[in-house]
Amino acid sequence: MKVLRAALIGAAAAVIAFAVTTAYAQDKKYRFVMVSHIGSNDANMGWLTESLKTFEEKYPDVKTEYISTNNYSVQEHVRLLEQAISTKPDGIAVPIVDSDAFEGPLRKAIDMGIPVVAFNIPDSRPEGERIPYLTYVGGDEYLTGKRLGEYALQQVEAGAIPKPTGVVCAVHDAAHQGLKKRCAGMKDAMEKTGAKFEELFIGAEPAQARTALQSFLSANKDTNYIFSVAGWSSPWVWGVANDMGLKPDVDKEGVTVLTVDEAPVSIEGVRAGHVLASNSQGFWLQGYAPMEWLYWYHTLGYRPNSDILTGPIIINKDNADKWAALVRGVFGDKAYDEQNTWK
Amino acid sequence: MLRSLALSNVFRLLEKAPSFGAVIGVTVMLIAFTLVDFSGWWTKQTISNVVHFTSLLAILAMGQALVILSKEIDLSVGAVYGLTGISFIYLQPILGVPGSVIGSLAIAMLCGWVQGFAVVKGKLPSMIVTLGGLFAFRGIIYVLTGGSVHSFPVEAQNHWLTQLLGGEFMGIKGAIIWMLLVLLILSALLWTTRFGNRLLATGGNADSALSRGIRTDRVKIAAFILCACLAGFSGILTLADEPQTHVTIGELLELDAIAAAVIGGCLLTGGRGSLVGAVLGALILVSFRYELIALGAPSSWYISFVGALLIASVIFNQWLARGGGLWLIQGK
Repeated sequence: MKVLRAALIGAAAAVIAFAVTTAYAQDKKYRFVMVSHIGSNDANMGWLTESLKTFEEKYPDVKTEYISTNNYSVQEHVRLLEQAISTKPDGIAVPIVDSDAFEGPLRKAIDMGIPVVAFNIPDSRPEGERIPYLTYVGGDEYLTGKRLGEYALQQVEAGAIPKPTGVVCAVHDAAHQGLKKRCAGMKDAMEKTGAKFEELFIGAEPAQARTALQSFLSANKDTNYIFSVAGWSSPWVWGVANDMGLKPDVDKEGVTVLTVDEAPVSIEGVRAGHVLASNSQGFWLQGYAPMEWLYWYHTLGYRPNSDILTGPIIINKDNADKWAALVRGVFGDKAYDEQNTWK
Repeated sequence: MLRSLALSNVFRLLEKAPSFGAVIGVTVMLIAFTLVDFSGWWTKQTISNVVHFTSLLAILAMGQALVILSKEIDLSVGAVYGLTGISFIYLQPILGVPGSVIGSLAIAMLCGWVQGFAVVKGKLPSMIVTLGGLFAFRGIIYVLTGGSVHSFPVEAQNHWLTQLLGGEFMGIKGAIIWMLLVLLILSALLWTTRFGNRLLATGGNADSALSRGIRTDRVKIAAFILCACLAGFSGILTLADEPQTHVTIGELLELDAIAAAVIGGCLLTGGRGSLVGAVLGALILVSFRYELIALGAPSSWYISFVGALLIASVIFNQWLARGGGLWLIQGK
């Protein structure tokens, strides 16, 4: 009898324990942290924070956190990452800005059982050497430059713009490997035309950037293509060329300007005929998709078999109106119009 | 013999002028550019571009020179330049162009007053206070803009005051004329008024100045306010001409402003410096940056170049102050 009673009590305890554990598991809030290099000084942060908000609406059992700094440095980014790891989140999404600097903290996180997804910038080392994250979600910087260059050459063949004789890639950050890859992609696309290619560090300060470009264009009269690797610097680039009488609008003569990003300033540059083309690297997806893969990893055990490329997608005069409508939906009409600095 | 004596007297007079090193620097630079790249350098477009940006930097550098003359330093001028410029754009829809100019300059002066007050009353090193100012004002820009700066409406761009600040007069950029006006006014202030005398005395020997009844605290605060006001004015001039900007506006300009003032003959120990020298220092920096790019050198070398030039100019200025000018004439 005693044995039976003990067995019943044990069974009841086991049932209660199972029920409590199950209930806890069902109620459990996963906490995923995005440790970003894009601070509030970059309008692109809006894409990521908006996508996290949408993700939380779809997956109410997940709490997402967005951490970043405006005064960017790799050291500061690593410090933020280490802080995030110490709070033992259920997943981390992080751009691999510097594979050497991020290797230690991320391997430690993975050893602790925290799944990691790289976004926006991958570990560019070969498969066996790179940090063992679940996957990379983002654009391809090299392809961004290459596809834009190839698009420009298609327009040359169609007779819409002049043949390139000299191409300058205007870079605002000399240490940003992603920007260098954009330039490298453009260079490879343009190489077959025999055009001279130069990479020019203009800096991020507007007045200094204008001076640097003025100097370059004055000394390199054969340059007729300018690739501005940030959307916000495209009006400066266009303005300098315009002030110098180089006819930078998109037509069969003068200088041709190309830029990047699905920011209002890039899209409106295309729509106004100042910029030939821009690109989207799927910023919204770069916020949403890493969270979804982290969630599926926890709930279903899914692991992607390859990197997930969200771009580049060319934005040109044919689809710019649709992009404008999409971006207005994310930023709102007021913010969109305010960010259009072409006026 | 007489000619040698006359020349040595001229050099004695010149070497007393703090801007003498910068005058020699500009002369050597122009000779070098003429020899190396005559057709590229001496064009209307090049000179116009160089002088235009020199003017914007020179206004910042003159403000910095005033603070350095008072034996302090202001690391926040780049951020104040940016904050004032951004305020000019953001206040315009509310206050109109004249109101936004006044409002944004008031913000700049407030930045200068707060920092000057903290340095003087808190007896804190100006390097630390203005470093804090640099971060704080830059942070305000980020918060205010949310990462992207608003557009400046076309009607505001065409406003008479915007045109007066950023337009052209007989083919000359407004900023160049404004810089010359500022140079004239500040030179008069420095060399012909009691305030200028007190500023030099405060920087030269604060104890001695105090013993003569000079309120050195007020003088220093006024120098900080003037410096911030000039930085802000330069920011407004920049955006009145080219309103398309970014949150990075003014980043690292403080270093160029300090370098220009030092190359122009300002001693960080205070009491000695020159406004004309600061303008020439700005001209040297901008010209070399321009010409380095034109000659095909990687533009990222500019930072290294500024460092080397800064050290060389400090050594050269000190050598001149020790009688190096005479050595040029007499060989001893």
